[in-house]
Amino acid sequence: MSQDTVLRAPTIVPGIKVAEETFLTDDFLRQLINVGEVDILVGLPTHNNAKTIEANVKAIQSGILRWFPRERAVIINADGGSRDGTPELVTGVSIDDVRASSNLHALRTLHSISTKYSGGPAGPAAMRTILAAADLLQAKACVLMSPESSAVEGEWFLKLLRPVRNDGFDFVCPTYRRHKFEGLLITNLLYPMIRALYGLRIREPYTHEFGFSGRLAGGFLNQNVWDEATGGRGAELRFTLAAITKRHRICQTFLGDKEHIEHRGADLVPALRQTVGPLFSAMDADFPVWSAVTGSQPVPTSGPDHEVMMEPLRVNRKRLRDMFSSGVSELASVFQSILSSSTLSELHQIARMEEGDFNYPSELWVRTVYEFAASYQKSVISRDHIIQSLAPLFRGRALTVLNGNRNSSAEEVEHKIEELCLEFERSKPYLLQMWKAGE
Amino acid sequence: MPLTQDMLWYKDAVIYQVHVRTFQDSNGDGIGDFPGLEQKLGYLQELGINAIWLMPFFPSPLRDDGYDIADYYSVHSSYGTLEDFRKLLESAHNRGIRIIIEMVLNHTSDQHPWFQESRSSQNNPRRDWYVWSDTDNRYRGTRIIFLDTEKSNWAWDPISKSYYWHRFFSHQPDLNYDNPAVREQMWAVMKFWLEMGVDAFRLDAVPYLVEREGTNCENLPETHLVLKDLRRRLDEQFPGRMLLAEANQWPADLRPYFGDGDEFHMAFHFPLMPRMFMGLKLEDRKPIIEILQQTPEIPSICQWSLFLRNHDELTLEMVTDMERDYMYDSYAENKTMRINLGIRRRLAPLLENDRRRIELMNGMLMSLPGTPIIYYGDEIGMGDNINLGDRNGVRTPMQWTGGWNGGFSDAEPDRLYAPLIQNPVYGYPAVNVLAQMGSGHSLLHWMQQIIGVRRSTAVFGRGSIEFLHPANHRILAYVRRLGNESVLVVNNLSGAAQAVELDLRRYKGNIPIEMFGKNIFPRVSDAPYLLTLGPYQFYWFRLRRL
Repeated sequence: MSQDTVLRAPTIVPGIKVAEETFLTDDFLRQLINVGEVDILVGLPTHNNAKTIEANVKAIQSGILRWFPRERAVIINADGGSRDGTPELVTGVSIDDVRASSNLHALRTLHSISTKYSGGPAGPAAMRTILAAADLLQAKACVLMSPESSAVEGEWFLKLLRPVRNDGFDFVCPTYRRHKFEGLLITNLLYPMIRALYGLRIREPYTHEFGFSGRLAGGFLNQNVWDEATGGRGAELRFTLAAITKRHRICQTFLGDKEHIEHRGADLVPALRQTVGPLFSAMDADFPVWSAVTGSQPVPTSGPDHEVMMEPLRVNRKRLRDMFSSGVSELASVFQSILSSSTLSELHQIARMEEGDFNYPSELWVRTVYEFAASYQKSVISRDHIIQSLAPLFRGRALTVLNGNRNSSAEEVEHKIEELCLEFERSKPYLLQMWKAGE
Repeated sequence: MPLTQDMLWYKDAVIYQVHVRTFQDSNGDGIGDFPGLEQKLGYLQELGINAIWLMPFFPSPLRDDGYDIADYYSVHSSYGTLEDFRKLLESAHNRGIRIIIEMVLNHTSDQHPWFQESRSSQNNPRRDWYVWSDTDNRYRGTRIIFLDTEKSNWAWDPISKSYYWHRFFSHQPDLNYDNPAVREQMWAVMKFWLEMGVDAFRLDAVPYLVEREGTNCENLPETHLVLKDLRRRLDEQFPGRMLLAEANQWPADLRPYFGDGDEFHMAFHFPLMPRMFMGLKLEDRKPIIEILQQTPEIPSICQWSLFLRNHDELTLEMVTDMERDYMYDSYAENKTMRINLGIRRRLAPLLENDRRRIELMNGMLMSLPGTPIIYYGDEIGMGDNINLGDRNGVRTPMQWTGGWNGGFSDAEPDRLYAPLIQNPVYGYPAVNVLAQMGSGHSLLHWMQQIIGVRRSTAVFGRGSIEFLHPANHRILAYVRRLGNESVLVVNNLSGAAQAVELDLRRYKGNIPIEMFGKNIFPRVSDAPYLLTLGPYQFYWFRLRRL
């Protein structure tokens, strides 16, 4: 044997990990093998959802049978350690029951499989598991369902899946009929800021129920958003941003009423961590994308891009004002690191206003948010502290919206949201200026 | 090789369906004939089949491919003489091959002398041999079978100025089985052929023999009485002969045709066939398992008859509307491929000439409970010609060689009863027996092999079936058992490789021996038995306790 033909052992390059710990259990993998390639995948993250889950699974099965009877479909339940038998309820729903009650016929086997992860309420681990399943099963069209929904309708699947399956979209965002005071974080920060940054008018950029392509799932799965430090926090919002920045085709579809979910005041900081944190964080990497964008464009939308409900809603306005004022006072030193002196000065003036005159104007709110984003980039203090300290200011903004829209019609409310969006777009040069200074 | 004397021979049979017209022309007139078929018996023997089902060869105007019989006591002159048929019968028997012939009980041709007499006058002695009426309003609950061509089951006869009943084409008047003379006459016809030596009858269109007002005129008790009477006479006078029912019905409706083992020996399992195609397209065992689970038990001496394709369309009568739409979209996107409620295509074109799928479908045909029937030409992957009318596109001449007329006939090509398949993929230069005999990897050789393996054990023809339910729904797995013998069958319905874990704990300790290569696989234990299968691959394992 000549020297040229001597077989050599493959060279191992130091530093390259070829064996990594998997987050999918062997049992789940075995179930995926049995399911095989699918056309439709429905992801159902759960955690102690026994009260509603059975009806939801039936609605899902009914939706699949009715709208996608020929497609290979699977329901993937990722459960965060329920103690109320939720996973058993998911896998226990018989397709025969659905067939009998809905007079629908199934051409194919419809799989429902379940896996557990440790992590409590549905979160990034569940989403990662579902995306991994979509990737491994080469799912063509997927939908992620919210475990909290108690009004899942079979038609949702048509609306969320058909644009992907039939029309070549990669990401289908829902739009809803909401109460005019519901989702203030979205209407006053996430929607207008993402619109201004990335130039797309996505009405619900942070959602727990959406449709997506396997292509988008696979690409996102491989992004570095699952690291131990953040635990994949804010994965839903990052998913939206990934769809935008990777230039996937995006559309919106109207799903009807969005249920009102009572939020406690203490929920605000976690909500900001889930949403504003990932948004500010993504701005670093996405700078080449958003810095080149001016103005905004609508995305293709099926049905209305929003609707407003006008029923009365009880809100403790005095508490909001007190939390704003005490926050401005107590976090003064923190705000000195984050905000410009003029912004801070104006906030102090607002904090001294009588309740009846209270007004946190849009221009100042936009400037506040942009200064927070720039400070986040510079990490002037701990990034988590920056996000936390936004909470009292958001409450002040929320109070202004509540006061200003107390008697507003749906059109007036929407007009003000649009004005705010335009303010975010107009002020974008200010953000760019701060950002470049930070670099 | 003499015929076996086993009374249940039909359970172990592998049947080859052929129309004498299509197989081999011995006299150069462009039409296949009995001497030609006799010449080719060696080929069929080598293929491994042990029964031939001959389609109608009686004198006929041939307006329905011979199912419109004008004389039950002779053969069509184009196919030879009665003596030629006798010689074919004798030669086949000498090779261990039985002959099954068609018997169309339900109707005759309108050219049959019986009908000519019947229509000639209201007082003719044969007037009541057919079903006549002054109105076309009777039996309104009866469906029309040939929807594409017929608007009513009644046709106006201008000669006798009344309506006659016909369940099929209007040129095929139904016989009146309420008339004892008709019943006697049809037994006399059967007796004539049985005495000559035919081994079995495929009785055509049996659900429709008797009509009753207020019913759908199908599967009536009176029809069963007629059939039981024929069976009784057969058993008394010709033991060991067989009756095969053509009744395109749901399994539950078919079950009565077996009676208590005193009506038909065999019946076609019509609903299974489209579901095999559906399961393959869906890559899901669900439709196949569902229909087999709905299939009732039949008496031990009875047998299902299974087929993939035949001379008719791939019938979609026994499927739901949703399934029919799916089948049309999957297998007959071109609407000219559709006829009545079915698809007029051969096996190979239906499966896009995919050798793996053709093998898998034949593998299931040979291993599911029942007696398999192979349609002539499918053993070499013959194509079809959808430009020919009706179902003639699947009835083209057999392709023996790449030479003159595909070796079928010495006649001028334009004298052939039907044009040969000529296209580059399926035409006789590309697909023919001679070429495939010379290729060790040909479909023909593979078919010989699988028929041989099938016939190496009685378990496929006579054994029970137990479905396994692995979590992988693309895998159709079952165990066939007969006495101490067990065969494990695992089919991958998917076009992608699959892994499957089988629960074989009941067979713990057995050694699976793959039946084609005779290779030994790891012994079965308490653990799930892991198999990997390539696209559309299947395994047959003999489970041996050693």
